Amino acid sequence: MEQFVGIMNYIVFFAITAGTYGILALGLNIQWGNTGLFNIGIAGFYALGAYTSALICGLPPSAWEGRTFGGFQLPFIVGLLGAAAVSGIVAIIVGAPTLRLRTDYLAIATIGIAETIRLVLNNESWLTNGVWGFQQIPSPLYKTIHGASSAYLNGHPNLPMWIHDLIARSYDWFYLALVLVVLFILYLIMERLVRSPWGRVIRAIREDEDATAMLGKHTFSYKMQALVLGAMIMGIGGSMYAHYARFISPVSFKPLYGTFIVWVMLILGGSGNNKGAILGSFAVWGIWAGTDFLTRYLPFSATQSASLRIILIAVLLEVILLWRPQGLLPPKKHLFTLK
Amino acid sequence: MPLLTVKQVTSGYGDMEVLHDVSIEINPQEIVTIIGPNGAGKSTLMKTIFGLLKPKVGQILFTDHEISSLSPDRIVRLGMAYVPQVENVFPSLTVRENLEMGAFIRSDDFSDRVNEMFDLFPVLGRRGRQQVGKMSGGERQMVAMARALMLNPQLILLDEPSAALAPNLAVVIFEQIVAINETGVAILIVEQNAKQSLSLSDRGYVLASGRNRFTDTGESLLANEEIGQLYLGG
Amino acid sequence: MTTLANIPQLLVYGIISGSIISLGGIGVSLTYSILGFSNFAHGDFMALGAYIALGLFTLFTGLGIPNVPFGPLSFGFGFALAFVLAIALTAIAVILIDRLLFRRLRRSGPIILMMSSIGVSLGLRNILQFFWSPQPHYYSQAIQPAVAIGILNVRIKPDEMFIIAIAIALVVLVHAFMRYTKMGKAMRAMADNATLAQVTGINTDRVIIWTWVIGAGLAATAGILAGIENKFITPQLGWQMLLSIFAGVVLGGIGNPYGAILGGMVIGISEEVSTAFISTGYKPAVAFVIMIIMLLVKPTGLLGRKD
Repeated sequence: MEQFVGIMNYIVFFAITAGTYGILALGLNIQWGNTGLFNIGIAGFYALGAYTSALICGLPPSAWEGRTFGGFQLPFIVGLLGAAAVSGIVAIIVGAPTLRLRTDYLAIATIGIAETIRLVLNNESWLTNGVWGFQQIPSPLYKTIHGASSAYLNGHPNLPMWIHDLIARSYDWFYLALVLVVLFILYLIMERLVRSPWGRVIRAIREDEDATAMLGKHTFSYKMQALVLGAMIMGIGGSMYAHYARFISPVSFKPLYGTFIVWVMLILGGSGNNKGAILGSFAVWGIWAGTDFLTRYLPFSATQSASLRIILIAVLLEVILLWRPQGLLPPKKHLFTLK
Repeated sequence: MPLLTVKQVTSGYGDMEVLHDVSIEINPQEIVTIIGPNGAGKSTLMKTIFGLLKPKVGQILFTDHEISSLSPDRIVRLGMAYVPQVENVFPSLTVRENLEMGAFIRSDDFSDRVNEMFDLFPVLGRRGRQQVGKMSGGERQMVAMARALMLNPQLILLDEPSAALAPNLAVVIFEQIVAINETGVAILIVEQNAKQSLSLSDRGYVLASGRNRFTDTGESLLANEEIGQLYLGG
Repeated sequence: MTTLANIPQLLVYGIISGSIISLGGIGVSLTYSILGFSNFAHGDFMALGAYIALGLFTLFTGLGIPNVPFGPLSFGFGFALAFVLAIALTAIAVILIDRLLFRRLRRSGPIILMMSSIGVSLGLRNILQFFWSPQPHYYSQAIQPAVAIGILNVRIKPDEMFIIAIAIALVVLVHAFMRYTKMGKAMRAMADNATLAQVTGINTDRVIIWTWVIGAGLAATAGILAGIENKFITPQLGWQMLLSIFAGVVLGGIGNPYGAILGGMVIGISEEVSTAFISTGYKPAVAFVIMIIMLLVKPTGLLGRKD
């Protein structure tokens, strides 16, 4: 039974992380999968969301911190919306000079913004507390739920150990539900959008931007909308992460790896398909977790094992590109065409 | 025996078939023109002959070789050359460099051939070091034809050589096509507005909706009233 | 006024780092114009070259091949031999990557190639990390004194003069290759119009191999020179410079190797001079900001042609 509790706890942790990645993958799907925008700075928008939310909801700077700003202790929902807003604004800055050009320029600019965000996080201690990052970021409804479960456990001292342990972790179950609800709501919104006339235009841009422009569509503003929307969703993902982890620092958002794994998730799941994005997140996160178990049995150091796992994910990407570029769930063929 | 034989070829882009069951022949040292309305499949036919598209059905024979599965650079080696309708020169290279590229597969000294080209196109001879991107449309067309002739091909394919040119320049280009032909090169021309081209052709084919419609000598096609009305603009 | 007095010295540092960025940029530019995609693994080709040189140098030292320093430089024959062989081996490794991945993906289009290059980037970097750890490795632990050149208190190390000289020599060599050899002309022709190059009978596959030889060879050189300048190498060496390299390429005009040289120099100098005014940590951000301004003002870059 103790093993069962251990497995359950792991599954909850796994699903919260995979669900958060699912949010990022949905954001990338609107940018890349539907509009063809090549964003390789996902980690930047993700970090931006996490830090914004921490600044809005977190505690004021304490005596031993280098930070002098932020910590407004506002409710979680404000942090979530603030995260979306800030990520969206930064996306406008990246998109404005690049979206009229070949998509390579956007790719380069997104690497640049992710790197710049990382430098700001490391260097601007007054805002970010530098390499130390934020601690004790409040989790929504933590006191209420944890208090209730503690009170219940105090009132029922004779529960079997495994039930006791499960109830003691009830907050994690709550947070899993929260992540899944956010993911599901975003999924529904994305599905609606993709099927709307707006969605038809952005997919037409992906297929053939010149032809779409000739039909009188102002492609730049559609591309900008898709970029900003995707970035806002990534910001929401960052916020969800920050309030669960409760501790964030620049190393939580490694520039390429944070971005790269989301790409592999979307490509494996199927670019252009929202269900595929979510499926890919759980599948790749499952593979990633699996390689963790696998490398434990190999005679390598911890850093070597970490490298080996990333190499495996890189190989997975190349294998998909070579043999199944459409992913597990290819986008549905939409028969209607642009008027 | 024909130099080039296209036998009942069906071809197109992806799932879309543009040519259906098309057959043509070109004999050595002939000028042949293919005419037909826009979308008849003329350019598709050229691309298929030259290995840029693979025929789905049918055979293409060139000097006894089956070439329908060969890539363009292999076909070039067999003695065929192709001048596309647009973007048919390397604009950042000089005239001389463009000609050198035409002789890429030759490892021997080909300066004689360059000089022959400059004799054939005197305008180019005076401007060997000029960047082609800065030249006029007519001059570019000459560079493109000279480049295609560098390997002494037996057959060259010209896709709408006069399409983008002013009428007086088109006359010059057609005079040069005749001059090229007189050196023993067979020429296949695709033209949309093709009176001029037919008048200097030995034979012509009319293509419509991707199928053979008529074939006859150039003169007879020009004289045919029905063809005149349908395909030569009356 | 100490900061202003430092500027001549910073300019020299900028020329040194600009030399390295430019060498990297030429390769990025060639791959973009000839193969048609942005190669995000280029920085990691630099790191690969630097580590192959390290591996060979270690091997040669073990074999007893002498490395008595050449005059005032910090290295001798053993390292020079490793340097040259590393360039060749990096080119071969990159051609193998092309045969294994890029060539098969060419028909899928530039974006798939770009994505594949990101996978190659991460894969290569972690292969280096797997074998050599993320910790720095040293080419030489010796401290080389900088010498005054007698202008405005500027000091420069002999190794740094070597870096600048090598960069200039290679730029001249690449220029001559592109201008006067048949293969160089064919590379320019293919950059102009790849389909026409094929139709003309140019062996495009051989042109692609030569593109990688030059691009990867220059990348390996840049990586090793960066190792000589910094005194150490890490698997992150190339990735850390990639943003500066791309900024230089975009600044000069993407797809134009001469633009990449000019742009790389401007970026290198700007990054170093900026340290007189803002934190050293922001060097890559300086490159990024310059690139964004260029894109707003003239997206085709300083020497760019129409896209």
